[in-house]
Amino acid sequence: MRILRLTWAVAVNSFSESVRHRFFTLFSVFAFTAIYASVLAGVMAVDQEARVLTDFGLALMELTALAFAIFNAASVLPKEAETKTIYLVFSRPVPRGVYLAGKLAGSLLTSALMLAVMGAMHLLLLKVRGFGVPPCYGWALAGSMLKLCVITSFAFFVSLFSTSAVSTMVISGVVWTAGHFASETRFLADQSAGVKSAGLKAAMWLIPNLQLFNARDLSGAACSIAPPAFLSAAAWVGGSYLAALWLISKKEF
Amino acid sequence: MSTNAVSFTGVEKTYRRPGLLRAAYNTAVKDLSFEIRAGEVTGLLGLNGAGKTTIMKLLTGLLFPTAGRVRVFGHAPSEGAAKGKVGFLPELPYFPPQVKPGEALSYYGRLSGLSGAGLALAVREAIERTGLEPHAGKRVSEFSKGMLQRLGLAQALLHRPELLVLDEPVSGLDPLAIHDIRGLLAGLNAEGRTVFLSSHSISEVEKLADRVLIMVKGRLAATVDRARWEAAPGGLEAIFVEAVR
Repeated sequence: MRILRLTWAVAVNSFSESVRHRFFTLFSVFAFTAIYASVLAGVMAVDQEARVLTDFGLALMELTALAFAIFNAASVLPKEAETKTIYLVFSRPVPRGVYLAGKLAGSLLTSALMLAVMGAMHLLLLKVRGFGVPPCYGWALAGSMLKLCVITSFAFFVSLFSTSAVSTMVISGVVWTAGHFASETRFLADQSAGVKSAGLKAAMWLIPNLQLFNARDLSGAACSIAPPAFLSAAAWVGGSYLAALWLISKKEF
Repeated sequence: MSTNAVSFTGVEKTYRRPGLLRAAYNTAVKDLSFEIRAGEVTGLLGLNGAGKTTIMKLLTGLLFPTAGRVRVFGHAPSEGAAKGKVGFLPELPYFPPQVKPGEALSYYGRLSGLSGAGLALAVREAIERTGLEPHAGKRVSEFSKGMLQRLGLAQALLHRPELLVLDEPVSGLDPLAIHDIRGLLAGLNAEGRTVFLSSHSISEVEKLADRVLIMVKGRLAATVDRARWEAAPGGLEAIFVEAVR
């Protein structure tokens, strides 16, 4: 119970600091502008306006939330160490694992809020253009959120050993991009042999398969994300958390 | 029950800085042994780089000793049982500029295990004790250095710790703020709390401390009791200068 209370205290503090950060406002303004700009793309698509407006908006929302999530995850722990705020936390009876879990939860809550606000704006825009809620919309947002969970926890882990927030953002961005080419990587691994095949197969284990979370690509007739995708997300979040915990428990401040 | 609040036994701390070809090592404190008696005010003096902040961090579990043993009320500093009894004020504490003192203190109070009415009372008391009441409605961004230092002290006092570890508590403060903080620390010590403070200001340490540890290049050069420096010609300053030269 005490552990849960402490985790919640750190998470709420982290969430409120992130939301109050000027970058949150900047990203929100950018997201609104970008989503609104998708109206233009929709109009140009003529009879496919609803589909283009939906797909374009969802993609912009995911990219904006991703950029903020990576920025936030890459800077939150180094900033606390740099400002010595972490001294005031770790000189108290707060287990390092609890602090890490709280910070991660706070970052994910912020991402969820950002995604929810952008989703509401997007749906409002669709309504203004005379369209209803697109099929699989909720699952598409859930898929984006699962991707954010995976990449945020990975960025937390990287931030504990990388030399700067920028390098954490670059590494996380590369992993996010590579994660969308899992099926292509598998195809190349099957087609090649020797060291090249072994390297590609290793990359498939070391990089999360983010294509699993593209609900609108996968759905077909049924709107859902398959249970293995949830398991994969849980494994990546859990694995990244444990690796980050191992690093932070040895870290001196 | 231990009568020593703190004990260092043969402690060494070496920092390792990884390099391209090989790591560089820097020993900050070496073969360090001392005790801080419960209820005492102990000062820590030394030039820059003498190892004062390293000692403070070892004491609060922020650093781990390379060799030797540190104990706080009989526990390792990383244990919750030790941390629950320690209040730490780092040098130049930072608080998010957009929060008010009550918000910042509530957060740190929760991390110290306080909640509900107990938390509200502890926050109110800490604000009153540190003289922050007239500024309670301001945001941290409006605070002067002295007010920030008071807020730093307030967060260290929240959970009524038995040991206060203060790194440069009067650094950069104006004379009135120094006077107030000195009075506050004397009051806390009169309540039975142990105070361990580092400072560059010999006169401040002289006014507050019962005993002073003088660090020179990572080693304990001298331990001086109040009676000794009061009897010495030139006081604590003369003893310090002699030790560090």
